[in-house]
Amino acid sequence: MRRGSLAAILVLGIAVALAASSVSLAGTRLVLWHIQTTDPTLSIIDASVARFRAAHPGVEVEVVPLQNDPYKVRLAVAMGAGDPPDVFISWGGGPLEEYVKAGKVADLTPFLLKDDYIDRFPPAAMGPVTFGGRYYGVPVENVSPAFIWYNRNFWNRYGVSPPSTWDDFLAVADKFKGAGVIPVSLANRTKWPGSMWYMYLVDRIAGEQVFRRAVERTGSFADPPFVRAGEEIQRLVDLGIFPPGFNGIDWDTGGSRMLLYSGRAAMELMGSWQYQIVYGENPEFFEDLDYFPFPTYPGGVGDPTNLIGTPGDNYYSIAASSPNKELAFELIQYLIDDVAVSRRIAAGKIPPVAGVENQLTDPVLRRLYMDFARANHMQLWYDQYLPPELGEVHKNTLQAVFGKTMTPQQAAQEMEAAARNYYGR
Amino acid sequence: MGRLGGRRGQRHVAALFLLPASLLYLLYVLAPIPLSFYYSLFRWDGLTTARFIGAGNWAELARDAIFWKSLGNNLKLVALSVLIQLPLGLGLALLTTQRGRTRKWAQGALFVPMMLSSVAIGILWKYVYDPNFGLLNGLLEVVGLPGLRRAWLGEPATALYAVIATVSWQYTPLYMLLFSAGLLGIPSELYEAAAIDGATGLQSFLHVTLPMLRATAATALTLAVVGSLKYFDLIYVMTEGGPLYSTEVMATYMYRKAFHEFRMGYGSTVAVAMFLAAAAAAAAILTSGIRPGRKEGR
Repeated sequence: MRRGSLAAILVLGIAVALAASSVSLAGTRLVLWHIQTTDPTLSIIDASVARFRAAHPGVEVEVVPLQNDPYKVRLAVAMGAGDPPDVFISWGGGPLEEYVKAGKVADLTPFLLKDDYIDRFPPAAMGPVTFGGRYYGVPVENVSPAFIWYNRNFWNRYGVSPPSTWDDFLAVADKFKGAGVIPVSLANRTKWPGSMWYMYLVDRIAGEQVFRRAVERTGSFADPPFVRAGEEIQRLVDLGIFPPGFNGIDWDTGGSRMLLYSGRAAMELMGSWQYQIVYGENPEFFEDLDYFPFPTYPGGVGDPTNLIGTPGDNYYSIAASSPNKELAFELIQYLIDDVAVSRRIAAGKIPPVAGVENQLTDPVLRRLYMDFARANHMQLWYDQYLPPELGEVHKNTLQAVFGKTMTPQQAAQEMEAAARNYYGR
Repeated sequence: MGRLGGRRGQRHVAALFLLPASLLYLLYVLAPIPLSFYYSLFRWDGLTTARFIGAGNWAELARDAIFWKSLGNNLKLVALSVLIQLPLGLGLALLTTQRGRTRKWAQGALFVPMMLSSVAIGILWKYVYDPNFGLLNGLLEVVGLPGLRRAWLGEPATALYAVIATVSWQYTPLYMLLFSAGLLGIPSELYEAAAIDGATGLQSFLHVTLPMLRATAATALTLAVVGSLKYFDLIYVMTEGGPLYSTEVMATYMYRKAFHEFRMGYGSTVAVAMFLAAAAAAAAILTSGIRPGRKEGR
């Protein structure tokens, strides 16, 4: 009797041990959070995950698509609570660096250097996820430089062609104004659209180094080019180049694009996502949609090929706490493998991958890609590059400059004071 | 109450059933209040180890011009909510509780804003206020007042009042409902007695209706004041506190500090300040003369 029960316990114990070990083999689980909630991108990601699943039977992948803004809060909470997903997206820059500094993000350098996988991406694309010479993310979604968008047909009607210098630009604006058309559409409620004008002006006036020096604290956010850019913006405001009430117009609900569609405004400085959005919203207007690069500034030393934007929009990172980093990295590779790349191109995107120009049949997209590939430098949006606290100060002071409640001088000094306070020097 | 309270044993059973809900309430409603105060003593980004800085956040709060501006905006919201929503709610309640066929559907129609989500209301009114395509500017043009056209949400001078108008539209129905309930609870004999004594309509309103609505008014006032002090959703949807902080209130400021700028400690400080302001206001109302006395309590 006693021996029998002992044997039973042994058998039971072995069974439990076996069951546990088979759980650890087959029960590997990866959680992926992303923010592509609409098609075609949503199904491109699903298809990539399906290919990964097929290659790794027994590995369970939970894909969680989230809305853009709630996502940021949810990720911050999950990180703080020590329960982040294995794979998550970010935009690189300051916010990601906060997580990196807190030791929450896995260093992907060894994975990326293995078999020279890193060569798949143009160097500019890696900028926003490189901290201290180490890589913390993989660019997947889209190359999104900001350009000035306009409708060829509409411009032809007024006999106007795209300007290449600042003086040309002002002349073009004047011509539209004379015809009763708002030269530049702008929806600055959320502050980042106005920031694009400022970033480009700083870059064209003084080149990419001035911002870098200010961040690295060998320069200052109160340096003359920053003040000059602010003055130029207030000049544009005084000239009546922007629509009335631009600080309250909402980009998300299409406030600025409606001005373009209705022929009340002539152009808009916006990320290249404008191309896909107009395609979805207004096919007729899209027919003749085109862009020109930000004009050169008189006496400015900035390289005219320089771009402002996101060189790899939606970077995928791995949580430091993930027990399956190698597998997680493989999952990321499926998100941007050749199949996924061609599907993204078919969807009108420009994947941040080297040497895809021949796959881009759309002439506007191909030109966009070549402008990106040729760019001497691509600056990530200030508000995403800077630590979040400073990014907010940048956006707030700049909106005040646009609204003329602050002089460019005051704005530059307030930004510099905030930077000194944050970095402690 | 009578049956459960009857015996000691049954009271224990009742306590047992209340336990899960009480625990949740304790964990998610009561505990965060002292915890927020505790967090307000730290410099903390929500990710790395918090650093104790004593009253540092509170000293910063005292000097923080934007916080004081947002408190000022909250107070404007309080004042205008009380001055607009309560009288308007009472007026509508008086109209819709009059006997008549249209009463029911009028009440229903007026109640609609209360049933829409704040996000939907915010987006709807953003279109109304749109400077280029909005209904409001279009209306001003039609009635021959094009000079009054404005970027309602885009100019610091008008943004707060534009939002407050929308908040009033959203919440007036709530007070209408409250006052309707209060009005229907007034015994009709009182009006009959007043009529026999020769009271006019206005007199019976002043001497019967208003005194009898005191308890309801106290509730409505508390709701309006406390609600306005912690108001968040519509402002966040419509303006995010902008432009240039002109619609910033304590709640949007707290959200910005904690979740946009990764300053959980300072965000907690703002949250506690908000709690203190709301608690003080509620206490002031409940201990003031407007509180229904025992004699008239019903």
